[in-house]
Amino acid sequence: MFDFDATLPLMALQFVVLAFLLNAIFYKPMNKVLDERADYIRTNEEDARERLAKAKAITQEYEQQITDARRQSQAVIADAQAEARRLAAEKIAEAQRESQRQKETAAQEIEAQRQSALSSLEQEVAALSNQILHKLLGPELIK
Amino acid sequence: MQGSLSWLLRFVEGQQLSSLPRQSHRITMLAGLSVLNLFPLAALEVGQQWYWEIGNLKLHGQTFATSWFVILLLVIASLAATRNVQRVPSGIQNLMEYVLEFLRDLARNQLGEKEYRPWLPFIGTLFLFIFVSNWSGALLPWKLIHIPDGAELAAPTNDINTTVALALLTSLAYFYAGLRKKGLGYFANYVQPIPVLLPIKILEDFTKPLSLSFRLFGNILADELVVAVLVLLVPLLVPLPLMALGLFTSAIQALVFATLAGAYIHEAIESEGEEH
Repeated sequence: MFDFDATLPLMALQFVVLAFLLNAIFYKPMNKVLDERADYIRTNEEDARERLAKAKAITQEYEQQITDARRQSQAVIADAQAEARRLAAEKIAEAQRESQRQKETAAQEIEAQRQSALSSLEQEVAALSNQILHKLLGPELIK
Repeated sequence: MQGSLSWLLRFVEGQQLSSLPRQSHRITMLAGLSVLNLFPLAALEVGQQWYWEIGNLKLHGQTFATSWFVILLLVIASLAATRNVQRVPSGIQNLMEYVLEFLRDLARNQLGEKEYRPWLPFIGTLFLFIFVSNWSGALLPWKLIHIPDGAELAAPTNDINTTVALALLTSLAYFYAGLRKKGLGYFANYVQPIPVLLPIKILEDFTKPLSLSFRLFGNILADELVVAVLVLLVPLLVPLPLMALGLFTSAIQALVFATLAGAYIHEAIESEGEEH
C-alpha cells in the first residue's frame, strides 16, 4: 500500500504540467472574461447612474419650469382680474357720475321751467287781476 | 474478494506480510462466506498494482491511467468553456465560470485580494484535480474495465504516491512563495517571534506535507474500502448512504487540501505586523 516509486515524481511533474496547461487554457481566458465582464458592468452601471442623475436633473428643471409657468399664469390671471375689476369700477363710477350729472341737469331744467312757469303765472296773475279790476270798477275808476 | 481478506489480515498481522510478494498471500475465504463467491458482485483488492516499467523505473499504471482520464476531462471542459466565450455565458461556459469564481473565492480567502492572482492556478488546479479524481473514483464504475496484475482502476488520489506528490508540491510552493517574497529573510520566520520555537517550526515543514498527503490518502482509501467492504457483505442498498457520504467527504477533502495549501502559502508570504 505504501510503495513509493517513480510514480511520485512523475505524478508531481504531471501535476505541474497540468497546472500550467490549465493556466493557459482555463484560468487566463476565464479570468479575462470575468474581469472584462466586471469592467463592463461597472462602466455600464456608472453610465446608467450618470444618466439617471441627468434625467433627474432634467425632470427637476422641467418641474421648476412648470411651477414657474403656473405662477406666471396665476399672475396673469390675477392681473387680468384686477384690470377687469378696475375697468368695471371705473365704468360704474363713470356711469354713476353721468347719471348724477344728468340728474342734476334735469333738476336744473325743472327748476328753470318752474321759475319760468312761476314768473309767467305771476304775469298772468297780474293781467288777470287787472282785468278783474277793470270789470269790477270800470275803466274810469282805474285812472 | 480474497484480496480483501488478505489485506485485512495484513493489517492485523502487521507489516511482515506486505513484504512478501503480493500474489502469494491470497487466503481462501471462510467456508460460510464461500457461497458468496458464486455471485461475483464485489471484490476488494488493495495494494495490487498494475506495474508499468520504463527503463528500470516502476510506475503504477492504474494511477496514471485514471489521472490521465481526469486531466483529459479537465482539459476538455476548459477548452469547451473557453472555445467561444460570450459576455452572457451559457452552458459549459457558465459552469466553468462558476467553478472559477469558486476557486477565486477560495484562493482570495486564504491569500487576500493582493496576492491571490499568481497562486490561483496552483490552488485551483489542486482543488480541481483532487475533486475530479475523488469523484471519478466514487462515481465511475472503473471496476468494469479489467486491467492486468489483479489491480483495479481507482481514483488517482487513492495512491499514496499521488497525494505525497501533491503535498510535496505544496511544500515547494510555499517555500518558493516565501523566498520570492522575502528572499533569505524568509528563514527569519523560523526564529520569530521567539527562537525557542525553531525546532517546532522546522518540524512543521515536515508535518505539513505529511498531514496533507495522509489526510487525503486516508480519507479516499478508507471511503473506498468501507464501501467495498459493505458491498461485499450486503450488496444492495445498504452501501448507498455511505457512497453518498463518500461523495461528500471527497469534495470536503479536495476543499481542505486546496484551502490548506493556500493557508500555508499565505503564512509564508505574510509580513510581520501586516494584517490582511
